[in-house]
Amino acid sequence: MSLLKQILDHLQKHPQPLKTPASSFQLARFAPAFLQSSDSHKDTQETWLVYEQLLLACLCVEDDVSASKLLHTLEQRFGSQRSRIQALKGLYDEAQATDDRELVEVLRWYEKLLQEDPTNLAIEKRRIALLTSLNRRTDAIAALVNLLSHSPTDAEAWAQLAELYRQQGLYQQSIYSLEEVILITPNAYNIFARLGETYYIASPNDPEQLADAVRHFCRAVELCEWYLRGWYGLRLVTGRILKEGQGMKGKEGLDRAKTERLYHVAGERLKTIVRRAKKGDKGWTGFDKGEVLAAEQLVKEGE
Amino acid sequence: MTEEASQMILRDPQLFYWILFPITIVMIVTGVLRHYATVLMQSDPQRQDLKAIREQRNLLRGVNVRSNHDQIPYQSFNARKTSLVAEFKRGAYLKDPDSVGKPAANPMTDPAGMDQMMNMMKGNMAMIIPQTLIMGWINAFFSGFVIMKLPFPLTIRFKSMLQSGVATRDLDVRWVSSLSWYFLNLFGLRSVFNFILGNDNSADQMAAQMQQMNPAGGAGMFGPGQDPNKMFLAEAENLEVVGGQHDWILHGVETRVLDLY
Repeated sequence: MSLLKQILDHLQKHPQPLKTPASSFQLARFAPAFLQSSDSHKDTQETWLVYEQLLLACLCVEDDVSASKLLHTLEQRFGSQRSRIQALKGLYDEAQATDDRELVEVLRWYEKLLQEDPTNLAIEKRRIALLTSLNRRTDAIAALVNLLSHSPTDAEAWAQLAELYRQQGLYQQSIYSLEEVILITPNAYNIFARLGETYYIASPNDPEQLADAVRHFCRAVELCEWYLRGWYGLRLVTGRILKEGQGMKGKEGLDRAKTERLYHVAGERLKTIVRRAKKGDKGWTGFDKGEVLAAEQLVKEGE
Repeated sequence: MTEEASQMILRDPQLFYWILFPITIVMIVTGVLRHYATVLMQSDPQRQDLKAIREQRNLLRGVNVRSNHDQIPYQSFNARKTSLVAEFKRGAYLKDPDSVGKPAANPMTDPAGMDQMMNMMKGNMAMIIPQTLIMGWINAFFSGFVIMKLPFPLTIRFKSMLQSGVATRDLDVRWVSSLSWYFLNLFGLRSVFNFILGNDNSADQMAAQMQQMNPAGGAGMFGPGQDPNKMFLAEAENLEVVGGQHDWILHGVETRVLDLY
């Protein structure tokens, strides 16, 4: 099987290759061989996709030599004026920067590019990412709000804004942003779970809010049967309602009996997930190990 | 005498090599050429400036709020609805607030519209010219005889079309001339083109025809001749209509989950 096909196969099997350092390394080790092989000179859409993915993986594992070669070839093929190429070059420069001063230089470059072409979405997003990593959170939030004023249909941007607001402790705004994501993608069960989490973090003692949190978690597991974070959140919040006891009546429909049943159902589901994930059954290996351990811990506490 | 069932004409097998194959091969080759010519002739999609993007996407947001309004709690939806309706009515997102009362942009003068029309016309030309040329070629070189027998029966009316060069009264309609082989190929080569050129190729006549029949397709909401202000006002009205009913999907979700599991 040609190297290109091997890499494409790998990418198909691991749709989120950059999620952990280990998986990034798995992808990046293809890079030197790929650059040497003849496959890297083909001019098909798949080749360039592989180039981009390999570049991102190499930047993650600090393989700067391969990264610069990949970037150079991309620039030669598509020209350095393309917004996507500019974003990749910006990423590379950020990775090469050794201190904050150099990062600010890259930031200035982004701002210059944006002045020339205000519709350069890729660079706008890169600038926001750089502001976040420079810890200039309020600037990042302002820039995101600006982006969303002309592109309010960008779910990724709303999700990022929700995250930034949550980090600042502005929970109502975070909830607003998450709801915007739901309006764009109404079946995003992970966003419903996140909403539940945010309601819970925002006011862990208010019965109305806790009831809403439970409802959001229920929706998440309604949409996705084995969603670990959904069941975890459900168990956690129902556990808290039951523990705090009589003071919490909640909105209509969520009485004590239902809460107890939800608590037990969540417990059963989590136990099944933990058991099968630990055994490594076929079809159950996709769960994140840390999350499985946390679920095990939670269920043990409840026993 | 006229026996509908079994009129047989003995044909030289060389007819296959010299008529059927050449017509098919020529049609395949012109189809492939047409595909590449269309791909090369298409101009780049126009870069839209920020205000145009802002206008389009905020209208889309209004549509999203309207379609998915049941997914968020009533207060959130109401807040969004009130603010959106107010903004749409006063034209807060219009790219060109001065052109509110004026008639819609004429496609001849509006550069963005011009581009879309040119692309459509180029596509049409690329379809019509080869078809005309090949039909003329077939009529010139391959007329005056019947070449094959269709496996299915047809009515008498088709005689004039399919037996164009052969003026007989009694010949069964199933015997057809080479022009009908051209027509058969026109519709049948689609799968061959899909195989050679991949799925959405421009040699596919059917797809082009269907696109023309579907007016909501290519031009989209913001094609030439659409008045953005009217669309915003229409969307504002839709939002107000929808705002009367709200059934939060999370009502009773806990019961549904307990029933499921």
